[in-house]
Amino acid sequence: MKQGKHFTESGFNRGLKRWLTFAVLIFIFCANMYPAGAAEHEASGENLTPSKEGIFDRVITYIKVLLGEEEKLQDSRTRSEESASDMEQSTDTEGVALKIATPSVIKSASFLGDSSLGVFAHLSNPPLMKIDSEGHLAGQLAESYEVSENNTCWTFYLKDDLYWSDGEPVTPEDIEFSIRYYGKETPSARWINDTLESSAVSDANNSVTFRFNKPYTRIDLEFATYNILPAHVWKSIDNPMEYLNEGPYVGCGPYYLKQIDFNAGKLVFEINPYWKGKAPESETVEVHFYSNVDVATLALKNGDVDTYYKYAGSYPYSSIEQLEKTGDFDFLEKTDIGLIFLAPNLKRAPFSDPEFRETLAYTINYEEIARLETQGYGEVPNRGFVPPSMEAFKETEKLEYNPEKARELLEKAGYSDSNGNGVLEGKDGKDFKLEILIRPEYARTGELLKEYLEQVGLAADLRTVDSDTWFTLKDSYEYDLTVTRSTPWGMLMHASWGSGYFDSRRTGQGVMHNLDDPEFLQLCDNILATTDPAELQDYAYELQDYYAENLPAIPLYWSNVVTPYNRHFEGWYTDPLYGIYNLDTFVNVKKKSA
Amino acid sequence: MSEVIKKTLRYAASFFLIVTLNFAFPRLMPGDPVKNLIGEDVYVSETVMEELRAEMGLNMPLYNQFTAYIGDLLRFDLGYSYHLHSPVAEVLRERIGWTILFVGVSVLLGTVLGTLLGAYSGWKPETKANRLVCYGFIALSCTPPYFLALLFLEIFAFKLGLFPFKGFYDIPTPENIMYHMFLPVTVMTLFSASRNFLIMRGSVIQEKGQLYALYARAKGLYDTAILFRHVMKNASLPIITLLALDVGFLFSGALFTEIVFSLNGMGTLIYDAIIGKDYPVLQGSFLVIALAVLLANMLADLLYAVADPRVRRPA
Repeated sequence: MKQGKHFTESGFNRGLKRWLTFAVLIFIFCANMYPAGAAEHEASGENLTPSKEGIFDRVITYIKVLLGEEEKLQDSRTRSEESASDMEQSTDTEGVALKIATPSVIKSASFLGDSSLGVFAHLSNPPLMKIDSEGHLAGQLAESYEVSENNTCWTFYLKDDLYWSDGEPVTPEDIEFSIRYYGKETPSARWINDTLESSAVSDANNSVTFRFNKPYTRIDLEFATYNILPAHVWKSIDNPMEYLNEGPYVGCGPYYLKQIDFNAGKLVFEINPYWKGKAPESETVEVHFYSNVDVATLALKNGDVDTYYKYAGSYPYSSIEQLEKTGDFDFLEKTDIGLIFLAPNLKRAPFSDPEFRETLAYTINYEEIARLETQGYGEVPNRGFVPPSMEAFKETEKLEYNPEKARELLEKAGYSDSNGNGVLEGKDGKDFKLEILIRPEYARTGELLKEYLEQVGLAADLRTVDSDTWFTLKDSYEYDLTVTRSTPWGMLMHASWGSGYFDSRRTGQGVMHNLDDPEFLQLCDNILATTDPAELQDYAYELQDYYAENLPAIPLYWSNVVTPYNRHFEGWYTDPLYGIYNLDTFVNVKKKSA
Repeated sequence: MSEVIKKTLRYAASFFLIVTLNFAFPRLMPGDPVKNLIGEDVYVSETVMEELRAEMGLNMPLYNQFTAYIGDLLRFDLGYSYHLHSPVAEVLRERIGWTILFVGVSVLLGTVLGTLLGAYSGWKPETKANRLVCYGFIALSCTPPYFLALLFLEIFAFKLGLFPFKGFYDIPTPENIMYHMFLPVTVMTLFSASRNFLIMRGSVIQEKGQLYALYARAKGLYDTAILFRHVMKNASLPIITLLALDVGFLFSGALFTEIVFSLNGMGTLIYDAIIGKDYPVLQGSFLVIALAVLLANMLADLLYAVADPRVRRPA
């Protein structure tokens, strides 16, 4: 009995202690929360009378304080009010705002470090050069340009009516600074740092000259991708990759980047008051991020956004019909210069044999694969690999589906099904089985290819791996066949026309670097050694003939980039590299008069 | 005193294990952070790759990387994100704030709603209304969150036009934030409520048959008094466990909901860090989640003792 009493008292004490601990914790929570609210009022200069704010506001403030933002409170209230007033202003002028939906979500406010932000910033900080709607290189900030005979010295003459959004003129020093800055600060442009011998500006003829330590023939193309920065702003920033600023950024395009708002999921561009070119109609351009494409479609249908943009991608074909049904949308259609292709392992027999690749090419039902994958927005490709929307396209023979011929060629090559199990045996008498290495996004294409190969007696295993494993296996040539894609820039890089994917002297995540045929390498070198348009065209034709004859990769289909846009707008332009996201679109697009 | 030392040692060992696993798991994933950072179509020389590797500290032997990581942790430095170009602590601070706000509210509302409805449903499971509610919650708990979120968006944002499609706000004001968070919070509350409902219902059904409930009835207590004063207290023990587990969820975000509503939360942060092999972000996120779960479990032990006198009693 005594013992029982002892237990009860002990339990009571422990309970009391725990309740007390709880009470203290709650007290601390409340004690923190109240001053947090008070601090915000104090900071904003409000009277410290009992708050009329609800618990929600107090919790928000508390969280801000917990998160160490006390010092920012004063500014944040002001900023929040400014931001709210800006946003309201933006809503007031909604009639003249062009809104773009994109799945390319920006992850960081690093102007130089975030690749998606780099693409969107072409509007505010246009590159020196551009690719026009026909695929030709043309000046953007540059009026004209010239290259020395030995291709080492490039001079760009600037347009003289360019101004930054803070009123300063765009000078050749800005161009020189930007190019050198990229070379020094960004890893992907380190080649500039390594090869740029000297640079000089001339204010007299508004030009900038770059002298390289070796012939460089693709500078005009390379300079179509680097955004030009205002030297007077950026020269004081020591570590630009780590420089995070949610706007505004000084720009020299028709718009400047006013705000990056991650929590609202948008970028806001506002008209550059000093822009002297053709005046754009929209006061603002907003780029809205949608992590989910289905939601972007709903937003388009709802009229929340006017168009859709994704670098190196089309609006999803499966959603086009939904938009068509609304009657509010028209569609821009252009053959993508990027494509999906089947890459045989050229370092492994029998795939290293052009005749075996020829046989493989006959097994594929291109019409079916194009129909299924592009839902009518694609076509059977040519043997020449390069799609027709690319400059210097050469018409080569269409790829042909001919399983009978494939069987015949296999038999001639010594593959036969002597045991009647439906699988061809190789020259060693064993069942010939190949492996198709697939990333999940190409799963259906892989299934179709497996089926086509099996139809001619070639047993195939599908090996589906995540992207990182794919990169590792691809780089160590541990595959028989694989499916991958080329992007618009990928088709243009290196010696252009897709050569950058195959040249064995290159490396990179997306490239196959599996072709070391001297004929091909020489062709690449020839292209890289000339800037003469006529010569370039000849080499481009030769390269396409080489592809058609040797099939180092088998294109599976050419697809169209489809861009929906609200019918109330007109004046859209599309280029092969950046689609509709180009200055021509933004200065020309306007609301249709009723 | 020896008990305190033992406990301290145990917690220190757990912490060291967590830290070690946080370091090891991201590095066990296939892929190269440097190649990932460079991108698919960009050609950089091997020299530049090596320079980058050195800048990121990835050229050091694993042992050195580990000691550097521990050293940074001791200085409360969670490292620097490769892709976000920002200190990890700052990134986490920003993301956790918003995640706690929308996942935390959902978990709390879901717990209250699920517990109360579950208790009532378990008390009178035979009524038609309760059966209907039960079927409803079973259906909810079986529905993929992604699908439910899209369905809500289609109905309430698109068809009815009542709510926005994305983001935490358009204008950074509390009203606008609440307006934007209504749909994601509702979806997540329903999920949380469905789990709590089913657990509470089962627990109450079990508890109401116990002798103490019968004794309370024999004393002449009303149903509500028996349920809310006696049965619910005992039946809520599994809910406390669930709540403690949900703290991990609270800090790791709700990936699918974040994707559908385009929210910038912890779920997408961790997902992007996995895709981009952003080791510092992964290490920092996992550490915060692990510590939060540890803390929540400690609190759950405390709550257990409050709810159940048997736990307070020495063995």
